[in-house]
Amino acid sequence: MDAVERANAEKQKRWVKDQKVGEGTYAVVYRGREAATGRRVAIKKIKIGQFKDGLDMSAIREVKYLRELHHQNVIGLLDVFSSKTNLNLVLEFLDSDLEMIIKDRSLVFLPADIKSWMAMTIRGLEFCHRNFILHRDLKPNNLLVASDGQLKIADFGLARDFADPGYKMTSQVITRWYRPPELLFGCRYYSSAVDIWSVGCIFAELMLRTPYLPGETDMDQLRTIFRALGTPTEEEWPGYTKLPDYIPVGQFPKTPLRDLFTAASGDALNLLSRCLIYEPRRRITAIEALHHPYFTGLPYPTHPSKLPRPASRASRPLEEVDGNVDMVDSGPGVKAVASNRLKRKLSSPMDGVRPLARRLDFTQHKGS
Amino acid sequence: MSNRTSVGGWLVGKTKTVRKGGVTPASAHNTRSNTPQVQSTSTTVFGGGVKDASGRTTEFFSMDDQCPVCRSDRYLNPKLRLLVSSCYHKMCESCIDRLFTLGPAPCPICQKVLRKLAFTPQTFEDLTVEKEVAVRRRIAKEFNKRREDFPDLRSYNDYLEEVEDITFNLINEVNIPETEARIEAYRRENAALIELNVRRDEQYSQELKQQEEQERLEREQRAQEARRLEELEREEKEKGRREIIDRLETSTKDAAEIIAKSRAEATKRAASRAAATTTFKSSAQLLRSRAAQSTTIPDVPHVPLQDDWYAYGDMYARLDHYDDMYSEAVRQDQEGIMKAGGYKVEEAWERALRSAVTALFLPPLSDPENSLTSATFLQPKNDVVPT
Amino acid sequence: MTAEPSETHSNSPPGKAPLYEASTQFKSWRYSPKRLRHVRQTLNAAAVAAIRKTLEADEPGSSTSVSFLQPDDELLLVKLYTTKIPQLCGHFRFPEEVEATAISYLKRFYLKNTVMDWHPKNVMLTALFLATKTTNNPISLDSYTSNIPKTSQSDVLDLEFLVAQSLNFEFAVWHAHRALWGLWLDLQSLPDVTESLRPLEVYETALKHVRVSRFTDAELIYAPSQIALAALSLVSPFLCQKWLDSKMPSDPIAAESHRQILEQTNSEIENMIMQHGQPPDVEAAREVDRRLKLCKNPEKVVGSKAYLTRRAEEERRAEEKRNKKAQDIRKTSEGEDPFGSQLAGSQESQSVDDDDDD
Repeated sequence: MDAVERANAEKQKRWVKDQKVGEGTYAVVYRGREAATGRRVAIKKIKIGQFKDGLDMSAIREVKYLRELHHQNVIGLLDVFSSKTNLNLVLEFLDSDLEMIIKDRSLVFLPADIKSWMAMTIRGLEFCHRNFILHRDLKPNNLLVASDGQLKIADFGLARDFADPGYKMTSQVITRWYRPPELLFGCRYYSSAVDIWSVGCIFAELMLRTPYLPGETDMDQLRTIFRALGTPTEEEWPGYTKLPDYIPVGQFPKTPLRDLFTAASGDALNLLSRCLIYEPRRRITAIEALHHPYFTGLPYPTHPSKLPRPASRASRPLEEVDGNVDMVDSGPGVKAVASNRLKRKLSSPMDGVRPLARRLDFTQHKGS
Repeated sequence: MSNRTSVGGWLVGKTKTVRKGGVTPASAHNTRSNTPQVQSTSTTVFGGGVKDASGRTTEFFSMDDQCPVCRSDRYLNPKLRLLVSSCYHKMCESCIDRLFTLGPAPCPICQKVLRKLAFTPQTFEDLTVEKEVAVRRRIAKEFNKRREDFPDLRSYNDYLEEVEDITFNLINEVNIPETEARIEAYRRENAALIELNVRRDEQYSQELKQQEEQERLEREQRAQEARRLEELEREEKEKGRREIIDRLETSTKDAAEIIAKSRAEATKRAASRAAATTTFKSSAQLLRSRAAQSTTIPDVPHVPLQDDWYAYGDMYARLDHYDDMYSEAVRQDQEGIMKAGGYKVEEAWERALRSAVTALFLPPLSDPENSLTSATFLQPKNDVVPT
Repeated sequence: MTAEPSETHSNSPPGKAPLYEASTQFKSWRYSPKRLRHVRQTLNAAAVAAIRKTLEADEPGSSTSVSFLQPDDELLLVKLYTTKIPQLCGHFRFPEEVEATAISYLKRFYLKNTVMDWHPKNVMLTALFLATKTTNNPISLDSYTSNIPKTSQSDVLDLEFLVAQSLNFEFAVWHAHRALWGLWLDLQSLPDVTESLRPLEVYETALKHVRVSRFTDAELIYAPSQIALAALSLVSPFLCQKWLDSKMPSDPIAAESHRQILEQTNSEIENMIMQHGQPPDVEAAREVDRRLKLCKNPEKVVGSKAYLTRRAEEERRAEEKRNKKAQDIRKTSEGEDPFGSQLAGSQESQSVDDDDDD
């Protein structure tokens, strides 16, 4: 046996795979444990050899970055080993995610809870940026929550190093609702500010308990953004009309954020507005955000162990820990998971009324 | 050996194949659930609108509302308030302010000259209904006779038919001058009775208001009672604690026993209280229980960074500008494409600078003993071969 | 906290660990020169022993006449293929990052494998292809292979998993050329280093030295910043000294120890660049390659008798495992209640190396 194979066999023995908890087009996720200690883990088995260009880019990205990043607010990659032609990632076991928490209507969020989640999210992101890594797919679904309440950024399948000057990047990143306008306009030279926009959308979603900017298509996404924040002027965002895919989507007036976020504190709205500044270079940075008065002011952020958690902690739908690249317009084709499929089915009657359903529904709430 | 010698070799843009396509966003969230309720408010006071029995106006508004004049909509302007003109065309408050503040002006839709005060809040989705209701409201003000005002049913029916007839004409704008004359004649003939019925109506709505006020007071009392009980509970807890201490001081009994006994008593008291009060799980209660938790694990002030990694920040200071062959194109960027897209050459500089000082003073590994730890994964192969 | 205990020599503030020490480059790919020699010798000896055994099993006495490769022979051949990477990168116009990364991968691969098992030609092609992906410069396999003469897609793909595995799936590499760029920028912070004191040619020549250093063991022993500094020092000891002075801590004892470290690394790296940076003699390499044809591991030669024997053995083991698994499943499903089989998956812990194809 080769040295490499032997070392691999050693590592393989450390981990025990239990039941399957999710399956995507290129990865299967198992619940597992460490043989010696019984510590719970998630084992993500990535199938190799079915891609014509060899090892898949998202698998490479995920392994590459998680191998290097060691931080309280970034999911821990405990080990990597291969079995036959499968790549196995042994990850920290995390049983819920922020999307589940936001959707669980039985949970009440205090302003201090939101502050706590935001601080952990931005701390994790700041660490990525400190290591010159763009995440490029931040959304509540990718912010996992450990049993002690710690929030951890996961899914580095779209991550990349900051680009060197003059190098193009793809604009086809970040899930649409969290995608900043510069990417929607096809910008190929961008920065860490793209992740900050996503953070802003997540912040808004935590306050609203519903996605803030739910566009239906890329075009509609721009329209939704402009309707929310007003069409940017040349002064506010110099040069944006020259971006490759620029297309006018209409003139919309500015509405103060206060009108929609009626209960938010002034500091909260200030931070939110600075995450959602049109000109990317003026958007707040992660490190600046961590020093924002919103965080330092009262109330203190909730201690992670006391944060609201979903009641049924039995099985987090471990969908899409992978974020594979897919060319189909219906989204990254990696989310097929038994429990998630069920969720999708239940919500499908809504599909027929999407144009209504995606708007803020003011009437429904009345009287309830 | 490298066959590229020119400077900028490794950074100057080169053609490269980038996979097309990439990721398209997921639409995992299919449903939109509740949204915060945002009430429309107004700075201009517009009269009219259809009042309900207690004299309040319920304005119609829908999430699909859109001002036909300026196209601004409800989705992101929750304050949007549409009003209806006397020609029954809708527009938003800000358009009305803009168009009619300086005096009467033509309606942007039908050109009828309107005044600002001719706008009323909308009550019904369908504007023909709105119009009908407005007409009926006007008619009902004066044609307010009741069954008991007539000697027999037949004459009451005749009266109702006439009212219907007048109403129909007004709504559909038939024989307006003649109809108005009929109204005027009726008004003259029945002045006293109309006055009487108006007072009767006023009294009715007064009663309705009083009833509502009564209900409000009751609600308030219930809330007060809940607060009182809570205070009682707190006091009892405090009392229990004092009792334990007192008993511990005076009694010869075992401390644990005393505490257990007091606890049991407290539990009993709480249980009886719970039975007496109807409990319902409210979010306020939930919040209270969350607040109680805070005493066990206190929240602490925000600490911006909590990790222990050192990023060599004290070993360099980035300048605002560099003479840099690699970023020349970016810095000149005539079209502003890189600038508008947010590319930050500073981030690339930062990375390079950090790179230059990273592990600068790290001594190389010198003896094999140390290096064993850095290569534990490799085992000498000959240990394994003879199998 | 996640930070590992930092080594005593690091100049990080108390309680803090330098970020470099979190990197896989620091943790897995940092050697002493002695250790490097030891690793190569051990790998070589083991390979020779294994191949000898296989040859003898095939035909007793046949191994005596074979002239196996020595560690230096292996190194020579690997180096030859290392120098081919910049040529290919120039052809494809790949960024420097790809080139540097591919070279690191190739060198790292042969710290876990031997040339007698895997010929560096294909490993080099695979390492380069892998590097395009790990550095975010992907190119389709099709256009990659069609631009390299006599190369099939399977030449690249067959070894990809082996290469990734040998790298322990540690794909991130810190490079000296970036450190040199940073160094060059940082010189502009020094007030007395005027523009005329730092002509661009100095940088260009230093970059050439950095490129040459890639053909040596430097990156396996020294930090990228140290290699960059040595490359600059080769061109302009003056600038090197100026810059270094500005980085020294105020504590004279610490400064002195740092100075000593860098004097050592500078001279050693400079020596490596000057002595070992040349591409190997083609004739010598050709001779090694000729011998390699006779001594390469027959188990890794597709179609050879030894290869087929090994394959058959592997197949037999896999079959055994499959049968056992099928039996286990049958056992469970024959159990008490009709739902038993459905729960089997969760009740019974599967071994991680199972043969499921999901």
